[in-house]
Amino acid sequence: MREQLLAALSQYGSPVLFGVTAVAAIGLPLPVTLLLVVTGSLVAQGVIPLWVAIAAASAGAISGDQIGYIVGRWGGTALLARFSGALGGAGKLAAAEAHARRWGGPGVFFTRWLATPLGSVINLSSGIAEYPWIRFVLWDVLGEVLGAVIYILLGRVFSDRVLALNDLLSNFTWAMVALLVALWLGWKLWGLRRSTRPLP
Amino acid sequence: MRRASTLVVLSAAFCLAIAGTFIFAYRAGRHAHLLRWENEPIRPWMSVPFIAHTHHVPANVLYSAIGLEPRPHDRRPLRAIARERDRPVGELIRNLEQALASAGHVHPAPESPGGRSP
Repeated sequence: MREQLLAALSQYGSPVLFGVTAVAAIGLPLPVTLLLVVTGSLVAQGVIPLWVAIAAASAGAISGDQIGYIVGRWGGTALLARFSGALGGAGKLAAAEAHARRWGGPGVFFTRWLATPLGSVINLSSGIAEYPWIRFVLWDVLGEVLGAVIYILLGRVFSDRVLALNDLLSNFTWAMVALLVALWLGWKLWGLRRSTRPLP
Repeated sequence: MRRASTLVVLSAAFCLAIAGTFIFAYRAGRHAHLLRWENEPIRPWMSVPFIAHTHHVPANVLYSAIGLEPRPHDRRPLRAIARERDRPVGELIRNLEQALASAGHVHPAPESPGGRSP
């Protein structure tokens, strides 16, 4: 699959980039980082203009993100209403939604370009939590354009080392995801310890 | 009792996440080092001009190594060239590697350490 996508990108350029970033944003595990750095190399070789590459990658990802959000907002809300009892009751769900609304913006922004493996989950959860669509689009556009610029420019700078660069970026991304999970768990543990401490 | 088991599970998950952070950060550092020293391997999705760019050799050297006339704006991947010429793609890659070796470019080991895309 990876080889076919790269061959298609190499041969047809930005339409393939648009399609792959859109499908990946919906949730399919496609090698988007690799495609973006290879695109950067194609930009350095004069095959694709820089602005076309950034526009195609951003537009594709933003379109896919909207689909994820819509599925979460209309499909996810109906599912949650049905299974709210199993998920801790309406009170817990309302608290989770309030939390998602409060932290939704930074969550959307950072999962576009830093903790990218969490992006499609955040699209769905933003829809389910009914995070305001206008704000979702704003953070989404900012994050996706920044992500496209970073990865394509890195590919352009290291245009003769795209495979090694992809391995570096993949490991860096997973390190960031693991760090975010560790911070979240640490925060939960801290709260639990404080609540179990005996009163003086 | 329930709170104690939650504490154990959360602590174990926390240790795993910390370990994961260090492992992936170490691997990223290793690849950052390789980024400076390792040549790109040739893959069937690459076009001849792409390989010429990554190895800093003129494209016509590589075209002549696989018995083709240079074409302007040629974006065909090696796999497509192999299909057109009815030749195994592995044979084209070997010919290109030999041409790079004779042009003074040492090819890297086929397997690089570490994982792939997320």
